[in-house]
Amino acid sequence: MKMDTVTLTPAPTPPSGEAAAPKPAELLVEIENLTYSYEGEIKPVINGVSLKVREGEFVLILGPSGCGKSTFLNVLNGTIPHTLKGDLKGTAFVCGKSVHETKVAVFATEVGMVFQDPDAQIINTRVRDEVCFGLENLCRPAPEIMLRQAEALAFVGLSNAGDMSIFDMSGGQKQRVSIAAVLAARPRLLVLDEPTANLDPAGMAEVFAVLHRLNRDHGTTVIMVEHRVDELADLISRVVMMDRGTIIFDGTPREAFARRRDAHSEEAEAVSISAWFPQVSEFALELAAAAGTDLAPDQVPLNVAEAVALAERLIAAPSMVPTGTVEPAPAPPPPETRKPLLSIRHMSFGYDKDTPILRDISLELESRSIVALLGQNGSGKTTLAKCLIGINPAPKNSIYLNGKDISDLGPKDISAEVGYVFQNPDHQFVTDQVDEEVAYGLKVRGYSDAAIAERVDEVLEIVDLARYRARSPFNLSLGERRRLSVATMLVLEPHLLLLDEPTIGQDHERAQHLMGLMARLRERYGTTIVMITHDMRLVAQWADRAVALSGGRIAFDGSPTELFGLPEILEGSSLMPPPVFEVSRALARRHPAKVPAATLSVSGLVQSILG
Amino acid sequence: MARTTAFQFRAGDSIFHRLDPLTKFAWVLTISFLAFGAYIAWVQIIITAIVLITALVFAKLSPREILRGTWLFLIACVSFFFIQTLTLPGSTEILRILDKPIYMESADYALASALRIYTIILGSLVFVRATDPRELAIALVTQMRVPYRIAYAFFIALRIVPTIEEEIKIIRSAQAVRGVDRQRGLMGRIRETKRYAMPLLVGALRKASTMVMSMESRGFGAYPQRTFVEAPQMGAGARVLCVVMLCCVLGWYTALAFGFVHSFYVFAPS
Repeated sequence: MKMDTVTLTPAPTPPSGEAAAPKPAELLVEIENLTYSYEGEIKPVINGVSLKVREGEFVLILGPSGCGKSTFLNVLNGTIPHTLKGDLKGTAFVCGKSVHETKVAVFATEVGMVFQDPDAQIINTRVRDEVCFGLENLCRPAPEIMLRQAEALAFVGLSNAGDMSIFDMSGGQKQRVSIAAVLAARPRLLVLDEPTANLDPAGMAEVFAVLHRLNRDHGTTVIMVEHRVDELADLISRVVMMDRGTIIFDGTPREAFARRRDAHSEEAEAVSISAWFPQVSEFALELAAAAGTDLAPDQVPLNVAEAVALAERLIAAPSMVPTGTVEPAPAPPPPETRKPLLSIRHMSFGYDKDTPILRDISLELESRSIVALLGQNGSGKTTLAKCLIGINPAPKNSIYLNGKDISDLGPKDISAEVGYVFQNPDHQFVTDQVDEEVAYGLKVRGYSDAAIAERVDEVLEIVDLARYRARSPFNLSLGERRRLSVATMLVLEPHLLLLDEPTIGQDHERAQHLMGLMARLRERYGTTIVMITHDMRLVAQWADRAVALSGGRIAFDGSPTELFGLPEILEGSSLMPPPVFEVSRALARRHPAKVPAATLSVSGLVQSILG
Repeated sequence: MARTTAFQFRAGDSIFHRLDPLTKFAWVLTISFLAFGAYIAWVQIIITAIVLITALVFAKLSPREILRGTWLFLIACVSFFFIQTLTLPGSTEILRILDKPIYMESADYALASALRIYTIILGSLVFVRATDPRELAIALVTQMRVPYRIAYAFFIALRIVPTIEEEIKIIRSAQAVRGVDRQRGLMGRIRETKRYAMPLLVGALRKASTMVMSMESRGFGAYPQRTFVEAPQMGAGARVLCVVMLCCVLGWYTALAFGFVHSFYVFAPS
């Protein structure tokens, strides 16, 4: 959806439409030696954090899950310590008010909070009501409220959506409503906790565009936790990296992405913070290392154009000699060329007869392949996947699994062949203990106790959960719960495994770990993996086939490289190619001898540049 | 793509949609009072017909929507009708099944009981489909002087029903994939509930926590009063309707008290 070019009338001055005049940057956030532990817990989640943020800054907070970044955001409007109790030590002033002494509601006009899940944070059912909600709570006069809600909706490009039902909106639209709902109160500081986690690439672009305009044109200070850095890197002014409750880096984006650092996951494993670097920065670091040159922070690219320029400088440099060893991208094992594992023939499906969601889908899946199922929110990806596992009743003679019509098979027959890992691992747990959870599928299929014990041990080792076998599944960290949900499917050795949004709520490192598991599953058992995802870097790295849905029809079926070269398909399916593909395409056009073709991997591109 | 659940508000422009929420609420109460008062079939048939006409004509619900929202209750009510007909005592025998007599009085009472349940469910469906829970909450505050924190608690409880319904469906699907069969018997149902309860509770607590933070961060509860920019008003026509409905309920219970109603039966002899 195209954004309206509407400005907000700031609360006191300047008036609407006027360019923001430079003014002395006031300190909005002043935090000194802040330590916080949740009620009833001893270990602090935030440990000795000090941070100062000036008006007009756009701060991105990065770090592994469990590092305390979301907890930290909750301090900025007094949710901690007033709503979420606990032990908060140190000083924290936001917009000149002490968070220790100021109630959350008092911050309502100064600090706007936007959370990850739009469905959980939107209170009202109609868009206009949601945007008016905050000002109504603050007892503003009705005419002023109506004026401000209209401006806020126009600013996020939803001028005509005031009467729309929230239930009829896409994820991106809902998140823009959430932003409009806080903008209506004219906050000086906007705090966002992974606002694009549930959105497709188009929805994410809509949200980032709104934030950029808000920061650039209105000087609104933005502090945001976000893992999708590729599209954000050149919009932000500062990066703060956190690890185990402390700040381990604070500086400009170029300084941040100029050097790899280590942090620690929730399970205390060392992970590289470069996992959250923009892909163009990652490319520059790898290229410089392989070329044996140093990369100064001011040379670190933050967007495709800068990365192309840097690569061209290095290509032109006569002294460039490859020194490092570049790992060639592993070639995926070829899919087996025998009768297909699964065939879909001209299938249409809808929950109501009058509103089909899937239209004339025909598809064949071979063994031993990783297939990405792509498309914008609401295009029918999950509906199709649910037809494959029998949750949605597929029409007769439309899906054949190993040559058998799936509509003739019972749930146990289907689940013996097909596994499904849901977005939220908690939904799939049915027992009180980790090992029982893994054993459950085998028990209902009548395996012997000895066989169950042997396979459970083996699978728990593979997913690295053997040490937690006696724990309740709900007492594991999110990453561990996700691995457990995969293990419950892994143990059944399915021929087809469906993964629904494996990266939602996961940081990049965890998603990589999960996909590593999938690759091992493919090697070991010849399993075909179908992953529903919006993460194009994941697709580029792991998928050997991409199927894009648009309006319930298959818009594309082929290799990811081919897909990323088709702008009209990408636009129709709300997809965006990974940055490295765009860099390689630009370089291939200018230097066909050096970079013969577009590539999907950083290593592959560096290798072709260095010859 | 999410499916809309049957018991969920959908915006519309029907006569019933345009009524203010309190009048619609009074309508549901009136239907319930009328339905509860009588144990004879002809009254229930009339009340069911009134509710059905309201649903189809005044609220513009399609027969499909009505069936989708009430099919489970419809099956339960039909079963209830047959069980009661077969088991209740009576004096006027119509026929015998497996040497067991079936009485007209039993059939009459069973039909009344089954229709009573169905009428109330159908009335509630019409009300929920055509009433924005937020408008109802606002009307409770502005017209009934209910404190707004309580009214919003009521509104959020209604607002969250479809979300929980959707969550239960997902959990059921997710567990079916694991090979979990639907359980039978009391113990089976208890085990099934326990299996659903934990993930549902974990998810609901997470959502509730975000909702609380979202509300507080936007000043909810900061002042004893709040502004309502578009508060629904009860018009003169709606007031008249409320008075008529009140008279109906009073008249009905007066007639019952004097025994005017229970003198005519559908199946049983008068």
